Amino acid sequence: MFSLRYLKVWVGGAIVMLLCICGVAAPLLAPRDPQAQTLEDRLRPPRWNENGSPAYLLGTDNLGRDMLSRIIYGSRISLIVGAATVIFAGLVGCTLGAVAGYFGRGADEVVSKVSEIFLAFPFLLIAIAIMAFLGQGVGNLIMALMLSRWVQYCRVVRGEVLSLKERDFITAAKALGGKDWYVLLRHVVPNTFASVTVIATFGMAIVIITEASLSFLGLGVPVHIPTWGSMLSEGRSYINRAPWLTIFPGLAIFITVFGINLLGDGLRDIFDPKLRRQR
Amino acid sequence: MRTLIDRRSFLKTSAALAVSAATGQYVTRNAYGASRDRVTIYHSSVADSINPYNHSSSPIYGNWQHVMEPLVELDYKKQDYVGILADSWQFQGNKWTFKLKKGIKFHNGAPLTSKDVAFSIEKMRDEKGGSLQAPNFKDVTEVQTPDDLTVVFVTKQPLAIFLDRLENRFILSKVAGDKFGDKLYDNPIGTGPYKFVSYQRGGNMVFTRNDEYWGGKAAIKEIVFRKVTEDAARLAALESGQTDFINNVPDHEVARLQKHPRIRVDKIEGLRMFFLAFNTSFKPWDNKLVRQAANYSIDAPAIVKNIFDGIGYPINGPVGANVIGADPKLKRYPYDPQKSKELLTKAGFPNGCDIQLYYSAGRYPKDREVCQVVAAQMVKGGFRVELISQEWALFWDKQGVNGGKLPFYYIGRGSLTDADTLYDQYLRTGTTKRTTYSNPELDKLIEEQQKTADQKKRIAILQKAGQIIMEEAPFIPLYNLADIYGVARNLVWKMRPDEKVLGWDMSIK
Repeated sequence: MFSLRYLKVWVGGAIVMLLCICGVAAPLLAPRDPQAQTLEDRLRPPRWNENGSPAYLLGTDNLGRDMLSRIIYGSRISLIVGAATVIFAGLVGCTLGAVAGYFGRGADEVVSKVSEIFLAFPFLLIAIAIMAFLGQGVGNLIMALMLSRWVQYCRVVRGEVLSLKERDFITAAKALGGKDWYVLLRHVVPNTFASVTVIATFGMAIVIITEASLSFLGLGVPVHIPTWGSMLSEGRSYINRAPWLTIFPGLAIFITVFGINLLGDGLRDIFDPKLRRQR
Repeated sequence: MRTLIDRRSFLKTSAALAVSAATGQYVTRNAYGASRDRVTIYHSSVADSINPYNHSSSPIYGNWQHVMEPLVELDYKKQDYVGILADSWQFQGNKWTFKLKKGIKFHNGAPLTSKDVAFSIEKMRDEKGGSLQAPNFKDVTEVQTPDDLTVVFVTKQPLAIFLDRLENRFILSKVAGDKFGDKLYDNPIGTGPYKFVSYQRGGNMVFTRNDEYWGGKAAIKEIVFRKVTEDAARLAALESGQTDFINNVPDHEVARLQKHPRIRVDKIEGLRMFFLAFNTSFKPWDNKLVRQAANYSIDAPAIVKNIFDGIGYPINGPVGANVIGADPKLKRYPYDPQKSKELLTKAGFPNGCDIQLYYSAGRYPKDREVCQVVAAQMVKGGFRVELISQEWALFWDKQGVNGGKLPFYYIGRGSLTDADTLYDQYLRTGTTKRTTYSNPELDKLIEEQQKTADQKKRIAILQKAGQIIMEEAPFIPLYNLADIYGVARNLVWKMRPDEKVLGWDMSIK
């Protein structure tokens, strides 16, 4: 049981590591410029197919661009957007949640009401509305996703802090003369890290899917940056004639989300206090 | 009284059932071919209202033309107007005089008179009543009916291009109008080759043959139109034999459909012209050399070949070959990225030039792909291109093209039959802010041809304007795409470039 629990973390972690390497070393790994169009070679099937060309391992898309290179470069956007959103949304959400939970009263009132308003809307809808307002761009995309994701962290951290602040060690810290901010940062917040890590990993998977959805809808990053979502969107009208245009980016999204979820699942198993007691 | 079935009739009934069950399959399969009795057409655009004047769209004109007819119509082959209800016409000063053909009868038996024409024009001008065709008569001050077969249109100033405005202006019966009053549009009575049977919004629109039609009886007895907007749904209906005719077959499905044993694919050059427009009030497009460089940097034939599977028609000159005023002697700028770079250097951009290309993704077929290829081609010609996609409303309105806010954009002008329309709308000083192009010499030619009644002379002037436009390069003409139809193989029809599908142009082989 012990090893099985760590197996999830290992496999998930390995997939995520691989992706990170892909993204960072994209210029070294990609056989071609992901933007270079060779119109004569458009819609070439993957290499193992009878009409495939050895030059293109996963075939070419509707403008004759190398699918493999585009998928490798596409991982960058997914990872940058995923990581940045999780970090920024986490920072904002945790700070607000901790403040609301610890100080209560007015602060809690305001933060809770605002987060309820955000919760009232489906999160993809908020992202779409913000993107339509801000326009295309990686920065805008991160902004939109962050604005629609911070609530999650806020709610969880607030709940944790509410229960933590009643615990004896906090009372002890206060009795020793610890100032509020000191106690909050030194004793309360570190104790929420376990649950935040778990939501962050699951959150990242959701963000990657949302990025792909927004790119699919044409609201994501500008068209000249390859992303898995926009590759899916462009490929879908060729699904009868050139299914590899949708299969490979789809697989890339699937594997990434699968890996991250596995990692998150494993981490939850490890951090979950109930399971810990059983051990 | 016996209520039970006897043995004999039971056997008879079951035998009949067995036969029909056995042949049923055969009958269904036969339904793949179109029949003389009824042709069913699934079209992406069919009338959305029972009011025949409540639209201004070519395929819908095609629907109503079954029932009602115009005074004149454009003959695309002759590139000139021919009379339908009008026998002859005369243009003099600010008056257009039409003589109607004799002996034409409406479906209710009433003869066609000038009163019907005046009545119908009044209905078309009735914007409050829902007509969207009123602007065509904005220059008309009076419609006179001196006798039963003569109609005189009086205009504010001489208006040589009035025949263009009269195209698709269909005539209803005044007798029916007086009889039905408010319910006139529920009972459309015209002179057309088909009579109106029924209309359901989102359902079928049915016409039946007018056996007493003055122009000769049509071959097909009943025509059914149905609006189906989804490409895949129309395609599936055609392949399964539910319909005999569909429009807008996606070009990447053409090869597959052509292998179908009972379906044929028909293609014709459409009237929507695609081009890249410059707004010349923006730098660097105020410089003619840069505009020419951009023209040299784009390979439209390659776009047609690779993105549209060769189903398209690169434009030579400022307008497509089928447009009135096109000049067969003109050629498009050849694809020459080296020349483009030279011109840029000459214009003061030796290190290339930064530009933005705007488009509205999803508005036109494969626009996103086209713009990406355009950008890649222009990079080779020495430009650095940023692609920006906007929502259509933003792109087209006051913040966009029509407010003169976009420096360079991809656009298609639909139903372009006459070069005058494009020149007047995009290139004449002060008409719109779409290009803010201004050239007094060109303005003069545009004005001159609008006053010229003689079509041949008018075409000559338009061709002269075309030469100036090619030299000045205020836009980059790209291509016309094909209108692609999927048709039952035994159905013969006359293809038209204007998206109209007409039942009396059909017959069964």
